[in-house]
Amino acid sequence: MTYALLITVFVISTCGLVYELIAGTVASYLLGDSITQFSTVIGVYLFAMGIGSFFSKYIEKKLVFTFVQVELIVGLIGGISAALLFFLFEHVENFRILLYSLVSIIGILIGLEIPLLMRILKDKLEFKDLVSKIFTFDYVGALLASLLFPLVLVPHLGLVRSSMLFGLLNVTVGLWTIHIFRNELPWLNTLRATGASLVIILVGGFAFADKLTSMAEASSYPDSIIYSTSTPYQRIVITGGGKEIKLFLNGNLQFSSKDEYRYHEALIHPAMGSLKNPENILVLGGGDGMAVRELLKYPSVKNITLVDLDEQMTKIFRDQPAFSHLNDNSLSNPKVKVINADAFVWLRKNQNQFDFICVDFPDPSNFSLGKLYTDTFYAAVKRALKPDGLLVIQSTSPYYAKNSFWCVVNTLEAVGYKTLPYHAYVPSFGDWGYVLAGNKPVKLDFDYPTGLRYISAATMEPMLSFPKDMQPTVHCINKLNNQALVHLFEKEWGEYVETH
Amino acid sequence: MSKRISRSAFLKGAGALFWSLTSGNWLAGCSNKFSFPVRWLGPSMALGHAIRDRTLTPHKGKPEEKKTIYIIGGGIAGLSAGWWLKRNGFDDFQIFELEKNVGGNSSSGQNDVSKYPRGAHYVPIPNEESQYVREFFQEIGIIKGFAQDGKAIYDELYLCHDPQERLFKDGSFQEGLVPHKGLQSEDKKQTERFFKIIEELRSAKGLDGKPAFAIPVDLSSNDSKYKELDQISMTDWLLHNEFDSKPLLWYVEYCCKDDYGAIPDIVSAWAGLHYFAGRRGRAANGEHNTVVTWPEGNGFLVEKLREKLKNHLKTGEMVTQISNEEGGLKVSTQAGDSKKAYQCEYAIFASPRFLADYLVKDYPKNLPGSSKKKNSLTYSPWIVANITLSRIPPSRGVQPAWDNVSYYSESLGYVNATHQNISTRSSKTVITYYLPLSSFEPKAGRMKLYTDDQKKWLKHIIADLDKMHPDIQTYIKEVELWPWGHGMIRPSVGYVWGEERKLMQQNVGNIYFAHSDMSGISNFEEAQYQGIKAAGHIMDKLGHKPG
Ligand SMILES: Cc1cc2nc3c(=O)[nH]c(=O)nc-3n(C[C@H](O)[C@H](O)[C@H](O)COP(=O)(O)OP(=O)(O)OC[C@H]3O[C@@H](n4cnc5c(N)ncnc54)[C@H](O)[C@@H]3O)c2cc1C
Repeated sequence: MTYALLITVFVISTCGLVYELIAGTVASYLLGDSITQFSTVIGVYLFAMGIGSFFSKYIEKKLVFTFVQVELIVGLIGGISAALLFFLFEHVENFRILLYSLVSIIGILIGLEIPLLMRILKDKLEFKDLVSKIFTFDYVGALLASLLFPLVLVPHLGLVRSSMLFGLLNVTVGLWTIHIFRNELPWLNTLRATGASLVIILVGGFAFADKLTSMAEASSYPDSIIYSTSTPYQRIVITGGGKEIKLFLNGNLQFSSKDEYRYHEALIHPAMGSLKNPENILVLGGGDGMAVRELLKYPSVKNITLVDLDEQMTKIFRDQPAFSHLNDNSLSNPKVKVINADAFVWLRKNQNQFDFICVDFPDPSNFSLGKLYTDTFYAAVKRALKPDGLLVIQSTSPYYAKNSFWCVVNTLEAVGYKTLPYHAYVPSFGDWGYVLAGNKPVKLDFDYPTGLRYISAATMEPMLSFPKDMQPTVHCINKLNNQALVHLFEKEWGEYVETH
Repeated sequence: MSKRISRSAFLKGAGALFWSLTSGNWLAGCSNKFSFPVRWLGPSMALGHAIRDRTLTPHKGKPEEKKTIYIIGGGIAGLSAGWWLKRNGFDDFQIFELEKNVGGNSSSGQNDVSKYPRGAHYVPIPNEESQYVREFFQEIGIIKGFAQDGKAIYDELYLCHDPQERLFKDGSFQEGLVPHKGLQSEDKKQTERFFKIIEELRSAKGLDGKPAFAIPVDLSSNDSKYKELDQISMTDWLLHNEFDSKPLLWYVEYCCKDDYGAIPDIVSAWAGLHYFAGRRGRAANGEHNTVVTWPEGNGFLVEKLREKLKNHLKTGEMVTQISNEEGGLKVSTQAGDSKKAYQCEYAIFASPRFLADYLVKDYPKNLPGSSKKKNSLTYSPWIVANITLSRIPPSRGVQPAWDNVSYYSESLGYVNATHQNISTRSSKTVITYYLPLSSFEPKAGRMKLYTDDQKKWLKHIIADLDKMHPDIQTYIKEVELWPWGHGMIRPSVGYVWGEERKLMQQNVGNIYFAHSDMSGISNFEEAQYQGIKAAGHIMDKLGHKPG
């Protein structure tokens, strides 16, 4: 029995160190800066162990019973710790609090283990022998863990599986102890049943570790995911709760079927209603086909070229009835030609000129996207625009990011466009901004098709006026070599997110 | 009892910390197999082996072809000589390049993800006096025109996109390369003082009215006030000027290594300061410290030159001897096993000078590069790694930049090849990692380069990158390693303004020399200048009028 318990020391010390390493590694993965993460995780863990050791003296009776309970709880918490951290990373306000709480709980429990065991064994061995044996096994266990972790566990099992495996070992130690002390322990059957169900949970977790990871994603969207795929360019997720369908690219909302008509009518009709018989249209971005749907309401339109980077995206919105009905099957219309290419690269090779060009890219939230809002890009667009043609650009919110919005305006003017900025209210997004631009001053006309739900001659007027809280405070031009817009955008949306 | 427990736990903790700090070394050290393909390439060893094995025997037969000028070497110097001849209406020349492709130290490679540099990767905005660079840039559309104030307007696709540089220090990335976060006030003061001196030197002119530090070097002032700086090392200059701030010294060392592959102890103060004070270029549409760059680095410029000279190139053909014979110069070559001979009136030797003694028959004993002379020419060895990544690993601090440097590394960090792409929405990229072997004496460095286990180099590089990106291994898809035995000439104390370099400018009969090693500073501007100078001399001799 003594040796059985000493082997137990060995196993639990291995498990303890593995949990610590797992917490440190997950924290490094998720938060970066491994030195800080490891130092703080180790610090908190050691301190918690101290707390556990300290409180062990208050456990007066039922030592074995407590020890078994500790093993089972450590097995559960330690076992699911990696999964829990990954899973909750997206959801908790302050990940560090979660991290350190988890580390503390495990630390306290581990801190209880050895003192309890020593006391259990104290009558079985002489004191000096006891101390020497316990620590020998403890240290050897630590060595084993620190070798196993980088060489076997992380490369072959991954973090989630490794933690499940070691949780299982802790539970096994618990069950074994129950077995050894089966004649002394109360609640024998309850303990056994708990142990057994923990085994099932952890084995299940071990087997379905991959599923767990994808579930972690699902829970970060408010509605149920009805479609999701990873393309070489982005992560496309479509959710549908009730009648409302939402499209997310890389986690950012692109539209909600409830009010996208507002966004897309405001994008297309102010320009199209001002053009005399527009025939050739270019849409850059906008692979969901909604802008094209609005364009097809004009009988004068002869052809529409849609350039979107992502083949998957245009395919879903053309071929999957559940989504293509949202754009009235616009992408299958014979007038529409879909080209899957990078807009900037494509434009530089393009020889054609268009009556209307619609630029509908995601917001300039990173440096790659920022390039699609530069003077160099707008100069390339200009070469594709007929002398009397018009251009519209979705240009983020003039309310949340007013300087970003006006930076787009300035950049267009810097390459010789005359601009007409306007904005519309889209409930899912807030107050949203667009810039109309042309080679000559833009003259609005209101030659709209019938059946529009938002845009009309009457709604256009207030859309053109920008109250004081949407006026810019800085003037800058966005260039490839200054990325002024991305810097502004980061700052403005950053401030907004911080205060809300 | 609990005391003991916490000590045991402390040891565990320390073990974990140790693991986290060294995991890069560790993981790499333990597996001899990498999960990604690794290629060890580099300049062809044919010439080196032929020299070593003494199999460099010239072609015995009569010359089969004739041209007025043959150029030996298709690096920037040789190609620029050709460009200048052609631009001036002179067509009767041919360039020999021993490699399959021209470019030399400005060569580039390409894979499915991107083009990438194997050596030179940028050119700073050219100065007023860098007339030839400006002419060339205009010809190929890098400079699109001039603003009213005379400043050049650049094609913004080629100006380095923002953000240009970031520095990893104290656990996160900060903007720019000059350390500026978390400094002591003394460090800040010294940094400011240093840049004030640089600002003065940048606009300083000598008694002869020429800029103190010009690009090309030969247009700099003759004023001894400045030339004297060549007599002391950069380290000494810093000492004299009471600079001892660690972050500042780090930055200066970084810059010496960047331009010369050598440390400030070796580099002369004139050369060390030239790096900062020599760059005076202004763009109408860019910051003054900006550069032009491309995914393939200066391979872009090589390709433009190659395109213009495509009827004048003989690649994969190594020159084995240039000798003075009856009727003119005889140029013997070897392509694979087949040997040939050519005849010309003039030759431009556009290869590194340390080869001249082996290739130029009767190369004068008194000239630098002669094996009879104690070797005065030193070249810095480098290793360049092009690493294909599934993405730039996430990190703390500012977002990835074009140039990404670590305060804690002896390397120069890495440049992101896809930074200049306008289609960067795919996250895959190639990073080019530069490691000058500056802590070794060049010969020892070269030995290490060629004899050390190639896996060892790779492990070393990954362990180094690991300090910036602790999980870099998981992103690596492919690695190409490229050693440069004689990467760049070292402007050691006394070299730029000394006798040696003066001697190097001489022609040997009808053989003219052109290589960046004749400038003492190895970069595009100098290589081009040397090439054009040689071409100009020969056209003068021939009495050829531009047209
Ligand atoms: C790692 C590294 C990074 C650099 N980064 C930069 C940078 O960012 N910017 C910059 O401006 N400069 C940089 N440089 C400097 C670079 O060396 C110069 O820009 C320029 O390429 C030098 O050109 P060159 O013509 O003088 O010499 P080389 O490039 O040495 O050209 C000599 C050519 O001669 C050929 N040759 C040699 N022997 C023979 C023979 N027997 N027969 C035929 N051909 C022969 C060689 O193959 C070679 O192509 C870098 C250099 C290195 C090594």
